[in-house]
Amino acid sequence: MSRLLLSLENIGKVYPRTVRPGQRFSGFWQVLRRGEFENGICVLDGIDFEVRAGESFGIIGANGAGKSTLLKIITGVLAPSHGAIKRQGTSAALLELGAGFDPEYTGLENLHMNAAFLGLGRSEVEEKLDDILAFADIGEAIHEPVKHYSSGMVVRLGFAVVAVVRPDLLITDEVLAVGDESFQKKCIRWIERYLADGGTLLMVSHSMYQVQKLCRQALWLDAGRARLQGDVFDVTQTYLAWHERRSARQVEGEAQRRTDSGSLYTVEDLQVNGAGPDQAETVLQLGDRLVVETRLRSPDGRSPVVSVGIVRVDGTPVYGLSNEQEEIALAVDNDGFFPARLVFDRLALLPGGYIVRAHALDPEGLRVHDTLEVPFTVRGRTREAGLVRLEHRWEQ
Amino acid sequence: MKGGHWWGLLPDLVRREIRNRLINTSSGWLWLIVSPLLLLGVYAFVFGYIFNARVPDNLDMPFIAWLAVGLWPWLAFSESLLKGSQSILNNASLISKVALPRELLVLSSQSAVFILHLFGYGVVLMTIQLTGTALTWQGLGYVTLLMVSLYLFAVGLGLILAAVQVFLRDLEQVLPTFLMFWFFMTPILYPPDLLPAAMADWMVINPMSLWMAEIRAGLFEAKWFPDLAFLPILMLSLLTLAAGRWLFDRLSPSFEDFL
Repeated sequence: MSRLLLSLENIGKVYPRTVRPGQRFSGFWQVLRRGEFENGICVLDGIDFEVRAGESFGIIGANGAGKSTLLKIITGVLAPSHGAIKRQGTSAALLELGAGFDPEYTGLENLHMNAAFLGLGRSEVEEKLDDILAFADIGEAIHEPVKHYSSGMVVRLGFAVVAVVRPDLLITDEVLAVGDESFQKKCIRWIERYLADGGTLLMVSHSMYQVQKLCRQALWLDAGRARLQGDVFDVTQTYLAWHERRSARQVEGEAQRRTDSGSLYTVEDLQVNGAGPDQAETVLQLGDRLVVETRLRSPDGRSPVVSVGIVRVDGTPVYGLSNEQEEIALAVDNDGFFPARLVFDRLALLPGGYIVRAHALDPEGLRVHDTLEVPFTVRGRTREAGLVRLEHRWEQ
Repeated sequence: MKGGHWWGLLPDLVRREIRNRLINTSSGWLWLIVSPLLLLGVYAFVFGYIFNARVPDNLDMPFIAWLAVGLWPWLAFSESLLKGSQSILNNASLISKVALPRELLVLSSQSAVFILHLFGYGVVLMTIQLTGTALTWQGLGYVTLLMVSLYLFAVGLGLILAAVQVFLRDLEQVLPTFLMFWFFMTPILYPPDLLPAAMADWMVINPMSLWMAEIRAGLFEAKWFPDLAFLPILMLSLLTLAAGRWLFDRLSPSFEDFL
């Protein structure tokens, strides 16, 4: 195993309540006497992970999940309230816009200061100055005060210093989203080469594409706790599915089960690879077999029509069909139900969260009487975009 | 992160502090000489002309010379406390982004004040000498020692004030008034024997009166060696420094939470 650069053990963070003046004073008194305060707001709890040399680690999560707090603890800006953190080797953080830049000073002066923060001596900076300036590529503006810089220029300068320092561990926030297209590409290229040369990366991003592209491992933070951690594709895909489901719930929330009172034909049961609506969700790999089993009830013994649809969890339709279209009639079983079994041998759905919906229609196939749905998740190591993998080949 | 490289940052931070003071003055570095001379002129006018103050009986010199020798160490001391106490709050944005040891910020702002005022002190002492008052320069070594101990004392107090100020912002309002009171309670504008007898006994608990007496002894009476009078000064500055470090280390992990 390679060298351990960073290890977090049961890290937690509690912020004090400091709204009323009295709370500040009691906080002060508690810290003075016992080195900690009570009655705080817990924003991180029980975070455990390790980063070894050569690894790349992504941290994802919704806004307010504690990502920034965790990054601050990792960089040492913030002390954890409990738990132990160990760091080894050099590290450099690229957090927020122009971290540690003084707007009154010129870019060059800030560059010197920033390099000093990263542990670079004055002579080393002089030696590498040309490289830094070439990377930043902001021309004569280097002699202007930073307060006159555009946000993109500030990021360029910050990144250029870090790029030349080449830390053992590079920690970045959402900053790369700031520069223009060509600079972003330059940064991504630099990070890829840095990783290929054995560098180690820890990044926070809302762009799952970037995380999947640059990271091998990921941690999903939810309300200050680690919801899932492991392989980047598993984590990001589960996270995305969760996200889509959450926004779908916010948008509609009604399409759960629409059984109008006068419904005649009902969907009694729906199972996806053996899992029903109330059971643990099925997880498939891209290309696996998907089996949808339904059981319909008919009040008058006539064979109802079943329609099966697959939608993305946010409601985007992907595929739908009914037995009637394909001229297949449902047969009654011994219990008086009408079972149907639909098999997709090699499911072409790309990773993400999906829902199977089964609708019961009258024998004429005109009116939907009942709907039942079951969610499932597809995973896979791929960065293909969209909903389905289309048959394709490259020709040269 | 290695502990060593942070200390190499101190000169950079001090330079930054000094440049911050000068960056918006049109005279730039010349201001370093002009400013203390202006202040000296004001004091000479007020006390030499308006109040017509006189020195203690046994000394034969203009009052302004006697005053200036005590005033500049006080200026360095009190201003470094003010700047030092604000250094954490003023650098809040830096603290929340760069993981540098926070005491460096207190240390650099206080050091910058001392450096600027020591430079001014030099200009003022030279002016006094040139305008005809003989200073006993053989005491310079001892005075340097006293200034170093005063610096350590100030850093100790500065660490305490800076740490406490993060939690209790009221300090910012109280401190200037308190320092003014301390200024008048210290024999800087007046000789110690001018105090009422009842007050004179209390002078012992004002450590600044020790420094004032010894600094003047050095520059006016050619005292050039540390004797027993230096012992409490040394003890006090080292103890204050230790106390400041302890309190700062105790409180600094929680700074971010209360900033």
